[in-house]
Order: sequence, then structure tokens, then C-alpha cells
Amino acid sequence: MKLAYYPGCVAQESGKELDMATRFVCRALGIELAEFPSFSCCGSGFVDEANEVLNVAINVRNLALAEKAGLDLLTICSTCQGMLSLANLRYQDPKVKERVDAALRPLGIEYRGTVKVKHLLRVLTEDVGVARLQEKVVRPLGSIKIGAFYGCHLLRPADELHWESAEEPHAFEDLLKAVGATPVYYRGRVMCCGFPIQFVKPSTASQIAGRQIDDAKAHGAEAMATPCPLCHISLDAYQNQAEKAVGHALDMPVFHLPQVVGLALGATPEQLGLARHLVPVDAALAKMTAPVASR
Amino acid sequence: MTGNTVHATFDIYRFDPTHDAQPRYQRYELDLPPHTPILTAILKIRAEADPTLTARYSCRSAICGSCAMQVNGKSRLACETQIGPELARDGRIVLEPMRNQKVLRDLVVDQEPFWRRYDEIRPHLILDPTKPMPEGKENPMTPTEVERFRETPRCIACAACYSACPAVEADPEFPGPMALAKLYRFVVDPRDQAHQDRLVRIQTGGLWLCLRCHLCTEACPKDVRPSERIRDLKEMAIAVQGGTEAGSRHAIGFKENIRERGLLNEMKLVRQTSGLGGLVGQAGQGMRMMRKKPEILKRPHPIEQLDEVEKIYEALDRKEAPP
Repeated sequence: MKLAYYPGCVAQESGKELDMATRFVCRALGIELAEFPSFSCCGSGFVDEANEVLNVAINVRNLALAEKAGLDLLTICSTCQGMLSLANLRYQDPKVKERVDAALRPLGIEYRGTVKVKHLLRVLTEDVGVARLQEKVVRPLGSIKIGAFYGCHLLRPADELHWESAEEPHAFEDLLKAVGATPVYYRGRVMCCGFPIQFVKPSTASQIAGRQIDDAKAHGAEAMATPCPLCHISLDAYQNQAEKAVGHALDMPVFHLPQVVGLALGATPEQLGLARHLVPVDAALAKMTAPVASR
Repeated sequence: MTGNTVHATFDIYRFDPTHDAQPRYQRYELDLPPHTPILTAILKIRAEADPTLTARYSCRSAICGSCAMQVNGKSRLACETQIGPELARDGRIVLEPMRNQKVLRDLVVDQEPFWRRYDEIRPHLILDPTKPMPEGKENPMTPTEVERFRETPRCIACAACYSACPAVEADPEFPGPMALAKLYRFVVDPRDQAHQDRLVRIQTGGLWLCLRCHLCTEACPKDVRPSERIRDLKEMAIAVQGGTEAGSRHAIGFKENIRERGLLNEMKLVRQTSGLGGLVGQAGQGMRMMRKKPEILKRPHPIEQLDEVEKIYEALDRKEAPP
């Protein structure tokens, strides 16, 4: 399987550990990643707020690059996934298409709308498949209780994204079971992490993040995992702010999705950049990697 | 199942704040056809088993918006949700009042804040008194103008969106999805004379606290799609005023930021949104992150064929002063 790799901004910058883990997992599963140094940012929802048609156009440019290479596109961020999927959809509106085409045609860019945008979670659960993934596991993760945290733009609006149920998704939990973890079901798993207003009103953003972590914890989660690096920023890098907002310690290790899979496929913590997290993952890691005999 | 009925277990939230120290869940068991609406089941329980069970309802036809509640944790109109699929999936039916509103009794919540936020957006046409309508004439709209309302006139004010919204939950400053969807309806109304004033007011009235999480759009039983109309309001507010608030500055800053290199320059964005003061305010957080993630100090490499991005901006973007 070969896919056009769309790492997004964060995984190339402060969230580099997500890129490292993705590359490990794809190598281990025989997924070939084609690099596109001319991919631009997806706009992260902010460009969409400022100028919807511009946002569609920059993403259609990205999609056209993948189409020219004859590849579907792999995302590793819920927000990139949402923005690129919605660009595919909005481009079908004749009024939008006319304006976007007028901007792209002089650049020799054409898009026929054939590229499928797939998040790593979907590639792992559908294209690789849970059963095959399970066969590749060399280190089942010790039944550690993990709260999946999906990220809004992977799920909603469900009638436009055409994938999981927005209210009761199960792909991430299926994946967690396949790698030997125990998924935790809690309301917050489909809620918002607060990231979009982190710079608008930090106290409210942190309050929202804190509530979801509290909810995961109340349901027994020993760690959380997310397919979105923006959620990861809210839940991990800003967890100290969330603690202030909710008024108590949270101490919740938060993994990127491919880090969890990578551990089960035999990666070392160094290969997955686990030391780059703000909240230490040591206790969870010990449980996930303990020799089977000692469990 | 017996004949054409199913055995239904209901666990219903009961709370009378004037008497009870704690809410409790009361179990009711009854046999009903699987297509029975939940509201019908509630009325049957009330008529035959427990007249004290309190719920709000009126039309029973998904038009009045009175009977919104949480059915197995999800916002639903009780009158249009059948028991069969709920039982098949969850084995029982848990009924709870809507979230983000004070419980008055059992399944009935206090809607006063919800309606107050609605009143605050001035949900009526504001006309220019110096331009009275010609005697005996109405104020006609073309079909194209009516299309601009999108789905917003469908709203039945059931408050399912208000109940689902994490911004409402965390911050009383946020007016809620319904009030903003209604505001949109007046902003695009060609007869209304206060478009600009409405947009200017909402910029400081909580518009930018919307998380665009789309939970409202998912919860809405009438497909009003509040989150998408809130997006429209944000773009219109920027067009009228530019970056006057942290939210609009952030959106504009982000847009200009990726124009420069094609990828986000994280450090610069903080400065663009929060100014130098904000950068100082975020300094402690920045230091913590830098120790683990030194890349945040570096500017990203420009993407290849960056000139294409620039040309797309030139073709499609308004000229805006940088925030």
C-alpha cells in the first residue's frame, strides 16, 4: 500500500514525535509513504473562519498534488482530516468550484475529485484491518485502560464525512483492543478538547480540556490516546493549565495514536519520541511494556 | 418479546430540588410495541404507574421543540425517538434532562437563560425608521434572497444544541448555538437594516468562543447546522471589522501566517493573536514546551512551490491589514 503522506504542520514542528511514530508504524506494516514537500497547511479551521473559499482552494491544491501522483492521501491529524475531506465536498458546489478553478487554472492545477482522504486510524482499522494488525503485535499492551479521544473533525459533521458514527464511534476502541489495551468508554471521548479557543480565552479552553481528562479518569482510564496532535497539545502540553482550571491534579499521560500502536509493534520509547511529552508517560509505559511473564 | 411488543426497561432521572437532596434514577418496566415513541411511553408511565413523573411536551409531532431530553446520553426529541432501536443497542432506556440548564423537576429544565440569550440577539427585523414601507406594500424578498437563510428557519428552539455545547457548558459568555443561528438568519435578511451593527456587537458578544466542534450540528433534530452558520458569521464579522478581537485576530493571523511559508509558524502566531503582552503571558508555558519541544522556536522551512499558494491568495483573498 502506498499513500501520499500529509503530516500536517504540528507533526513537522512541536509534535515531531507523532511523525516519528507514524513512520515506525507504517514501516512495520508495509505502508509506503510518498513525500510531498509542496503540501501546504490545511488551514486548521482558522483559515476557514476567515475565508471559506480560500480554504477550499489551498486544500484542493493539496488534493490535486496527490491526484497527479495517483495516490490517496494519508492524514495523521483529526483537523487535517476534516479540512481536506470538507474541501473535497465543498469543491463539488458549482459556485465554490467556479471561484476555486478560476484561481487554480492559471497555475495549471486541475482536480478531478478522485482522491480519498484517509486518517491513519481508518487505514489501520479498514485497509490493514484489525485482524492483520493483531497478528503483527509483538508486545500486547498489558490490558492498560486507555481512553480514546477522537477529536471533533474526525467525526463531525458525520453526514458530510461519511465514516464513523459521531455519537458512538468504535474504530479507535477496536484498534486499542487489537493491540492488547482495554478501551474505556466515556462521554468525553467524542467531545472537544478546547484547542480552537486556546488563544481566544485560555481559561475556558483549559476548563474544557480538564473536564474531558477528568471524565476519562472517572471511568478508570490510566492513559489517554488521540489521533489529533491539536488535541494532544490541549491534553498534554497544556495539561498544567487544565489542572489550574479544574482545581486539582490530573497526571494523565496522553499518547498519540501511532505511539500506542508502535509500542505494540515493538518500538522503543526513543523511536516514538515519548520523552517529548510534557506529562511523563513512565508509569503507563511500564505497564504497557512489562514482560508478559511478570503480569 | 411477547407478540408484537418488547419488554422495555426505563431508568428515569428523578429530582425535585425543593425536597430531594440528591437526584436518583427510578426504574419502570413495561411491555410496548418497538415503534412506540419515548414520549408515549412517558405518558403511559405517568397515566398508569406514577403521576408525579414530570416532563415537558406539547405537540407530539416534532414541531414544538418542547420534549428534548437526553435519551441514553444523547440529545433527542422524545416524541420522535422510538424505543426499539434504543433497547436493541443499549438494552435499556436511560432518560435524563438536558444538560447545561438547571433542573426544575425530573426531566424539566429551566429554559430562562436559553431564551434570554435568544432575546439578546434582537430576534426581529430592525428597519430604518427614515425609510418607511410604502403605504399598502409589503417588503418582498426574491427566492434567491430567501435561500440565503439556509436551514435556519427550520429551528424549533428545542435547545438540543444548547444542551450539547461544550462552550455553553464551560463559559456563560457564549450565547449558544441556537441564538447564533438565529442571529445569522437576521444578518442575511435583506430587509434588516442592522446587519453591520449586529456583526459588530456579536464580535464582543461571545461569537469567537465557538469551538467549531459541530456537536450542535450533530444534536440538532432539524438539521439547522448552527456550527456552519456560526462559521459564516465569523467570516462576515471579519469582513466588516477585521481583527478587532482575539478570535478574529487569530483567524486572520493564521491565514497570513501560512501565506508566508505554506506551513504554520507556531511562535509567530502567538504573537499575532496575543500581541507582545500575550507572548510575555505565554512565556512560562513556552519555556516548559521548549525544553521538550525545541522546534517551536524554529521557523518552518518554506514549502516547495510556495508561489502557487501566494497566487491563490492573490486571486481569492481580500486585502486585509495585518493584525
